[in-house]
Amino acid sequence: MHGKLFDKERLGYCYQCGKCSSGCDINRLDPSFQPHRFLHLISMGAGARLLKDEGIWKCTTCFACSERCPQGIRVTEILWLARAMAVASGFVPDLVANQRDALLRTGRLIPVDNRKRERAGLPQIQEEPSLAARIFEMVRKH
Amino acid sequence: MRYAFYPGCAMPVKALKYEISTRSLARKLGIELVDVPEFGCCGYPAKSMDFHVALIMAARNLALAEERNMDIVGACTGCVATLSEAKEYLEDGDLRSEVNKKLKALGVKEFTGRVRVRHFARILIEDYGLERLRKEVVNPLGSLEFGVHYGCHYMRPARAHEYFDDPSNPVTLDRLITSAGAKSIDYTNKNLCCGLTIMGISEDTGLRLAAEKLECLSERGVDAMVVACPSCCIAYENNQKLAGRTLGKAFNVPVLYFTQVLGLALGLSERELGFEFNRIKSDKITGSLIL
Repeated sequence: MHGKLFDKERLGYCYQCGKCSSGCDINRLDPSFQPHRFLHLISMGAGARLLKDEGIWKCTTCFACSERCPQGIRVTEILWLARAMAVASGFVPDLVANQRDALLRTGRLIPVDNRKRERAGLPQIQEEPSLAARIFEMVRKH
Repeated sequence: MRYAFYPGCAMPVKALKYEISTRSLARKLGIELVDVPEFGCCGYPAKSMDFHVALIMAARNLALAEERNMDIVGACTGCVATLSEAKEYLEDGDLRSEVNKKLKALGVKEFTGRVRVRHFARILIEDYGLERLRKEVVNPLGSLEFGVHYGCHYMRPARAHEYFDDPSNPVTLDRLITSAGAKSIDYTNKNLCCGLTIMGISEDTGLRLAAEKLECLSERGVDAMVVACPSCCIAYENNQKLAGRTLGKAFNVPVLYFTQVLGLALGLSERELGFEFNRIKSDKITGSLIL
């Protein structure tokens, strides 16, 4: 399933020029973070090595790499797919586990405080707590 | 002008001043923002968990707006980019029919692709118009100098945003600010990411990113930084002290939403613009209120 998704993001067009990494602000601050290396490992069929790699979680998803890529590869999306593979394999950073819990419990990333909203003169927000859980469940069953 | 208003998860909890000022500004300009109670999460956080879950979350919101025959206006750049990208993914007919089956199970009509998704700033420029906006200014902000921060998802991915602004050298927010009579400066790291999304993963790197921009704007002596996304505001305002510490500095850069700046120029009141919620106060900014 993921292979097809990687194809859609044009992974196979990567010739390792490194332009994604050279224009990346995270790479500038933390040289161990190299998007082109992630692409290389996945296209060589060694994507499993990334599952435990903290590096895939260091991307801010700023999309600078995707815009710069001379081959039109959607680098950011590929990182997202690598993360989803890690999560599916049980490698979930605390922050992501907390976000997933919030989604499953409240249907939203940040639970609403309607009393505070009322005091600020803003309309009430109707929560649909089971929504995200239902969507996760229907995808799992598929 | 009538749109389905998509507030997202962050704005209604963490960015009340943004929501208050957006609603006030829209009311003042006769732009109707319709609340859709059934809107849920845009899917952004779920992208790190499961591609299809994220896509269905986004598609549900798109379909809900289509049911009401309205285009979506968002104010969180992350939500706008995520919904726009989902629209792009769903140009694929196979994927769309797969997703539409799931939407049916969720009790939502099918997604056809006709809904448009745009940021409130983009609506002001494309639908309302800068000329018209300029005519509404009653309090030109000529004495104020701002440093605009776009936020990555404001104009990227460029294709999802229909290339409405340049992905590496954006200009639209600057145009809005100068329409209000204020100055918007050019500065070296204008295109830098706020870093918020990784502050909970690699804290130091995320805070350093925020600090670099704050340092630049601090040295330039701007009256405030201007943002268009709740996440960016949290990074630069709520976390300003923490960010400063990574460079051994203490910054004092007020952070305003572009809706607050425009509201000032249009003569809206302190209350209508939610200034009570601004954490870094500035006498010069509040002193330019005429109400």
